[in-house]
Amino acid sequence: MTALTSSPSEQAGPPPVRRKRNRGGVSPALQADHNWVRSIGVFILWAVVVLFIAMLVWIVLQAFRDTHAILESPWGLPTSFNFDNFATAWNVSGFALATLNSILTTAVSSFVCVAVAAPAAYYLSRVENRLTDGLSLYFILGLGIPAQVILIPLFVMLDKVHLTNSLIGLNLVYIGLSLPFTVFLLTAFFRSLPLEMEEAAALDGASALRTFVQVTLPLAKGGILTAFVLLVVGSWNETLLALTLLQSSDKYTLPVALISFVQQQTYSGADWGGLFAGLCIVILPMLVIYIWLGRRLTEGLTLGMGK
Amino acid sequence: MSASTLKRTRRNPAPALKPEQGRGGSSIERQRRKLLVPFVGPAFLFYTVLFIVPAIAAVWISLNEWAGSGPMTFVGFKNYIQVFQDPLFVKSFGNTLLLLFVVGAAIFILAFAMTLVLRDMAAKKIARNVIFFPHLINALVFGILAGFIFNPGGMVNSLLKPLGVTEPPAWLAQDNIFPLIMATMVLTTTGYFTTIIMAGVDRIPPYFYEDCALAGATALQRLRYVILPLTWDVFGTCAVLWTISSVKIFEIIWVFGGSSGAGLPPTQTWSVAVYTYVTAFSGMSTPAYGAATASAIISLALVTVLVVLLRRAMRRDAIEF
Repeated sequence: MTALTSSPSEQAGPPPVRRKRNRGGVSPALQADHNWVRSIGVFILWAVVVLFIAMLVWIVLQAFRDTHAILESPWGLPTSFNFDNFATAWNVSGFALATLNSILTTAVSSFVCVAVAAPAAYYLSRVENRLTDGLSLYFILGLGIPAQVILIPLFVMLDKVHLTNSLIGLNLVYIGLSLPFTVFLLTAFFRSLPLEMEEAAALDGASALRTFVQVTLPLAKGGILTAFVLLVVGSWNETLLALTLLQSSDKYTLPVALISFVQQQTYSGADWGGLFAGLCIVILPMLVIYIWLGRRLTEGLTLGMGK
Repeated sequence: MSASTLKRTRRNPAPALKPEQGRGGSSIERQRRKLLVPFVGPAFLFYTVLFIVPAIAAVWISLNEWAGSGPMTFVGFKNYIQVFQDPLFVKSFGNTLLLLFVVGAAIFILAFAMTLVLRDMAAKKIARNVIFFPHLINALVFGILAGFIFNPGGMVNSLLKPLGVTEPPAWLAQDNIFPLIMATMVLTTTGYFTTIIMAGVDRIPPYFYEDCALAGATALQRLRYVILPLTWDVFGTCAVLWTISSVKIFEIIWVFGGSSGAGLPPTQTWSVAVYTYVTAFSGMSTPAYGAATASAIISLALVTVLVVLLRRAMRRDAIEF
């Protein structure tokens, strides 16, 4: 190289290109290639980002306006922050009870599901033999079965034991339905934990049960929380089973209440103000959870993919 | 990262433990094995009673004619034949396939493109977090909003008016709703898959890119020889995830554009899940549990076949890095 460049014929060539200053300290190999396809991509991406945020803000703002004003000018801003829509949705349209039902169902089913799945996942991750392989496969099987397959038999079964139109029944269904995913996720998580601490505990004479409760569980707090949050999101939004299993409006969860609210509107005229308030009640808890525990959510969704 | 390390920790100790296990294992191993029933038992019971038993029952119900109460009559595969002769089901099945393949392809191409754009963009975390968020919202919300945005006096038309569009298309006409649903699905699901694919791309150690730069590879070559092979397994997983979730699509169709109005969404938009629900629980006609379950089992068969095919097609030697 040096020999070549210093040869007289080459020296007459163009002056060496000056290298651009490396800003930001990122190695050139990792920097973006700047071309127009990319620029368009970046532009579209930001457009979508802005659209989503604007949409969310818009929904919240419209919830503070009355239906007449919303229909008059959908782009308008609320003139004052009155909570009339929320009050109506809350008291008249039954969203209060539905919210309570949703919170109850979500909390109970998510908690029980994690409590039941964690020991099973621990066992499946620590003991390796043909039986546990089979059991793991048995649990994974459920991941591929769409909910509508078991919809009708579940309805019939629960009807036999008088658990349709009951939140207990819905809780049970949610637990059973979420188990495959939770076991799967937690098994992957327990496998990623180091074994040394458990071995040390065993050497100190702790029983296997004690090792699990006092050593592994505290270590696995993060993974268990992740599983819990994912279950909360899933149950909060579940619609098909709730719609099938709940018949009286005092048992409705939020999605079902929302559907029935939409259907009432076709008879009583659209109450968009109330509807936007209802949408806010459905969306905002998820937003809070996302802002609070967002990292766990995305991590959990990608960790469960080890298979 | 998680995937490869998981596999490794799992594979390596196994041969070392083999001889020990033959003799009954170490004391902690033996103790642990005793925990089978208390640890796995409850989960096994819940899962079997609430998931596997109904699934098996579903197969049985699909072979019978049954109105929910009263006697069941065994009819063999008649329900399946009947369902496939029902133009409503054929339409629903076609819609589900459209969602699965067309929406799926769009999501994948967009998600991968977004990943490549996001990979070295400023503020990529913020952008990624925002486009992921719709995944956490009930699809009902989008369906309801669509009714507001696209209705004749709604937002889209009020935006189009100044642009000189005096006769905007009838967005919510029965035939136009399904394409709108597909577009909405693409818009709201892409972010989720972008996040997953990005996690796969982020796993690739940076020295590979540096290597590419040193070797003078173009962006396209880098994509072809580094990024794609190393994220192949992530793509496989995403494809399986989408297959499973796309046959369940129900809520958004149920309320899209306020279409459920009097009770049922227009039949042009039905998916198999909607067909199953309506056939069993609509209250408009005698419930046909057998046919409804048969339609659900068909969707299960679709998932099974596709997942098996996908695993076949996507199988490559895992690249450890």
